[in-house]
Amino acid sequence: MENVIQAIVSGILVGALYALIAYGLGLIMGIMKFLNVAHGSFLILGGYVSYWIFTLWGIDPYLSVPLVIIATFLTGLILYKLTLSPLLKLPDIEMRVANSLLVTFGVIYVLDNAMALTWTPNSRSIMTSYTGEAIDIFGAHLSITGLCGLGIAILVAVALYFILSKTYFGKHVRAATQDAEAASLCGVNVQRTYLISCGIAVALAGVAGVIVVSSYSVTPTSGLSWLLIGIVVMVLAGEGNINAILPAGIILGLIESASIFVVGAPYRQAVALVIFIIVLMFRPQGLFTGREQKSI
Amino acid sequence: MTANWKKLLIAGVVCALFIALPMVMELGTNILNLLVMLFIFIILSQSWNLIGGYTGQINLGLAAFFGCGVLVTHFLWKAEVPIYLAVLAGGVATVVLAVIIGLPTLRLRGVYFAIGTLALAEVLRIVMGNIFATWVKMPGSYVTTYSLLPRYYLGLVVALIAVSVVYFVTNSKLGLAMVAVRDDEQAAQVTGVNTFKYKVLALLISAFLAGLGGGVYAFYRLSFYSISLVFSPLWTFEPLMAVMIGGAGTLVGPVIGSFFLVILSEVFALTLGEAHLILFGVLFILVILYFPYGLVGSVDQVRQLMARASRGRLWKAR
Repeated sequence: MENVIQAIVSGILVGALYALIAYGLGLIMGIMKFLNVAHGSFLILGGYVSYWIFTLWGIDPYLSVPLVIIATFLTGLILYKLTLSPLLKLPDIEMRVANSLLVTFGVIYVLDNAMALTWTPNSRSIMTSYTGEAIDIFGAHLSITGLCGLGIAILVAVALYFILSKTYFGKHVRAATQDAEAASLCGVNVQRTYLISCGIAVALAGVAGVIVVSSYSVTPTSGLSWLLIGIVVMVLAGEGNINAILPAGIILGLIESASIFVVGAPYRQAVALVIFIIVLMFRPQGLFTGREQKSI
Repeated sequence: MTANWKKLLIAGVVCALFIALPMVMELGTNILNLLVMLFIFIILSQSWNLIGGYTGQINLGLAAFFGCGVLVTHFLWKAEVPIYLAVLAGGVATVVLAVIIGLPTLRLRGVYFAIGTLALAEVLRIVMGNIFATWVKMPGSYVTTYSLLPRYYLGLVVALIAVSVVYFVTNSKLGLAMVAVRDDEQAAQVTGVNTFKYKVLALLISAFLAGLGGGVYAFYRLSFYSISLVFSPLWTFEPLMAVMIGGAGTLVGPVIGSFFLVILSEVFALTLGEAHLILFGVLFILVILYFPYGLVGSVDQVRQLMARASRGRLWKAR
């Protein structure tokens, strides 16, 4: 019984991190129809920035989040300007998605090697005074880093919800998503909206990276496995359905921690892949959307 | 027809050159190593070209097929199976793997095929890394009799097979259907092409070639410090880059791209070290963004521009 509670709790904590990874992917995919496969590498970049701030200046990883956000936000702007905005000229959405996939595949290559040169290929993690500490509730261990992850994920979910539904910027984003041409006719600066949302998406990857580096570890090449998790969550939530990402991430986390009991820890990624393919085959619109309904 | 004969003649001369090269002169170990890698790149890039360039399905799991070929060939060869049969078996095993992957993922629309194959390659890398955690190597007797020439000829033969398979496939009804799928899948379906069948067929042939490429690599490299290295995404990325630089959906494009890539990586690896990989990534991004038809396509574009310019001049002169 205790094992079951422990599995559920750690599933929820891991799932929150998964959701956090998927937010950035979901934003770019939902708004601009770009599939950013370099998302995992940006996550690792965020982790390294946080690691650097911790080792050079001794600032706690969770306090360094704003600095990481600024650094990765700027990276996101550069990414959009240099690689993604030329793709907007392509006539058809399918082509745009496919080409963004290829281009960002190249970005992975550039980033991973640049990071390996800067921080060496060794695995890095942040050891603070509370790393490995846990709070016991009903016999279940809740790691402090995991709880911080859950808190940040909920914060991001709420913030994104308010930004997208209550502010002018959110209105612009929704307008540009529904019909970019009509929106620009109505005076929405679509290019700037895209630019800023791309920055936000990459900054979210950086935030997820802070949690990864403080509760797991980062190596320059481990971005790909985090990316795949993000994509699985995005597909579970339904493409472009931002509000469903947190529940979808938690569902994936729960399934994973259940699968550790059944098939063992090394194969849990295979389980996620199988879920991914089953969902795409039978419910390509995701678990949370109706057949025709699409929301942002 | 005459143009065809000319191309055939050029191809024949190039082949004869490669066959005769090690016979007439003593090639150094470095050059032989380079040429074997070149053949492996040609095989892999033609394999990617078939599914990605002609059929338009972006396969980011080439490393899975390659690694499967390497593993099967390696262990069969270790079990005293003749290398030629082992390489063939590697190809066949890869086809089986492709059936298992292809049937579910090819039903997915658009980019999810790419993601599905990428995920699969990653999972295989992790799982195989867990299973073969130790150094995988051939017994010492194989090392003492190691010579590069058989590797060279096996690579050459398989590369020729890969190029001619792509040539014959694309000049058949199958190739026509593949191009139809790439250009407009819905239109092809409406006019009665069973698009799913052709996509699966293209994937199977492509996987077979990639498996053969893996077999050649297993014959070339006797030991693998970590087996997850042969499943590394680099084995997807570099052939893909060769195809894109040369020109996707053309027969000579991947060959030219492979030449370009192998020579360039040799030059830059010596001068820049690790940083040359960053340069390659930048080059890849630039090609995708600004030269989507690759070198071959750019030559065609320039030729068209020249033709148009000269026509314009004639018209003005009149």
